[in-house]
Amino acid sequence: MSKVFYRDLTTGQSTSYVELLKDLTSATHYNLYCRSKDYYVVFKSIVLSLLLNQEIILLDDDLSQEEVESQVGKIQNSEVLISEVDRVFLSRILTLDELFENITKSQKNWRITLFTSGTTGIPKMISHDFTSITRSVKQTNKHTSSVWGFAYNSTHMAGIQVFFQALLNKNTIVKLFKLGREEILKEINDNKITHISATPTFYRLLLPVDQVCPSVERLTSGGERFDRKVFESLSRMFPNASIVNVYASTEAGTVFASDGDTFSVKPNFKNLVKFENDELYLHKTIMGSSNTIQLQQNEWYATGDLIQIISKDPIRFIFISRKNEMINVGGYKVNPGEVEDVLKMIDGIKQVRVYGKKNSLLGNIICADILRTNSEITELDIRAVLQNKIQDFKIPRVIKFVESIETTRTGKIKRN
Amino acid sequence: MELIDIINIVLENKGRAILLTVKPNDDLRNDLGLDSLDLAELTVRIESEFDIDIFENGLVKTVGEIQDKLGK
Repeated sequence: MSKVFYRDLTTGQSTSYVELLKDLTSATHYNLYCRSKDYYVVFKSIVLSLLLNQEIILLDDDLSQEEVESQVGKIQNSEVLISEVDRVFLSRILTLDELFENITKSQKNWRITLFTSGTTGIPKMISHDFTSITRSVKQTNKHTSSVWGFAYNSTHMAGIQVFFQALLNKNTIVKLFKLGREEILKEINDNKITHISATPTFYRLLLPVDQVCPSVERLTSGGERFDRKVFESLSRMFPNASIVNVYASTEAGTVFASDGDTFSVKPNFKNLVKFENDELYLHKTIMGSSNTIQLQQNEWYATGDLIQIISKDPIRFIFISRKNEMINVGGYKVNPGEVEDVLKMIDGIKQVRVYGKKNSLLGNIICADILRTNSEITELDIRAVLQNKIQDFKIPRVIKFVESIETTRTGKIKRN
Repeated sequence: MELIDIINIVLENKGRAILLTVKPNDDLRNDLGLDSLDLAELTVRIESEFDIDIFENGLVKTVGEIQDKLGK
């Protein structure tokens, strides 16, 4: 029996590598844009784009049409017939070895473009070539028997990195994202998952420790800070796993890793990282390319991450906070300004203040103070409007109607 | 305000029908259909009503577990 490539409990799908090969070699159409709820479709499209040496642009499936078009402009029908020459080429890939050989061949035109809520909050496009997107992939004999629990959105940077790590080692990918707790634990144990990369929120939702998952060898988390208590509980739930924090961003991919809170710079990145005024800067050579990335002296990217240096040689540091006002909701970054702009477009709303409130489950939850001109407008009305305008995690979950909104001396809305 | 009223606010906010009763065994995710954002909203609303953070010491799964935390 051929090794399983992708398994999805919600759809009952289990697709082997041989079936993936069959789907790829019989493909007739190619689409520059990829937007699908079905992770298999996303993964297959990425591999197809690699084989065809064509660019692929990943769009979140939960983005509204408006949000999509604000990012890429009007999408024309972008599906095209694959040329005769390419179809012949595809049909001649007969074995998995040939498939992988073609995937990793030099990809001159290949680019993958994805979106980040990033440091400005306005979604920005980031493109990576094959080298930069697979920079952190580890490929050794040891990794061939890994089974990955997939706990990210398939169109986000973190998800794509897990995908390539699994694909290039011919590992099985088991979807865990959006499953309930019991289902997740069952999938981990039934499929003997060895590796999981997820946000701290994902891990928090697996607690309390009422069962153990001995198959897991490594848990990776990033996006927000892990507290001690969760860390200790996870060590009991996953007794054979090492627990690792990574620093990663859509712009740069994975740059550092650490045990616990303290990060160190890997030797090969030593000259590509610098610190100024407690802020972390990354050199342009480790960044994807984007028109919207602003570089200092044409070379350095200011990450907006504030750090504190623990030791100088070798350099070790901890992350303190974000320089700007982004609110971290379960690993997703929300720019309050963006949400305020959408709210202010609703009739009957005069002024708003969007802020994060600490929450033990998600880190933060989005709240809004609203000054109405029409007192009949309700929280329910506002939520209904937002449902079609912005992604779920950006929608204020608690709305308070107020008589006035404090501003700073310069007229900006006061933030806590 | 009772716990069921708060649960109903969260359900209504996401465009779902309100409940007439809840049972202690009702699972917040599986029976009431709340996702993690909904649970976070529920936490904040319960905290502002009862001044108790139901998730402070780990996960709660059922209506009954919330009632326990609220001492009801």
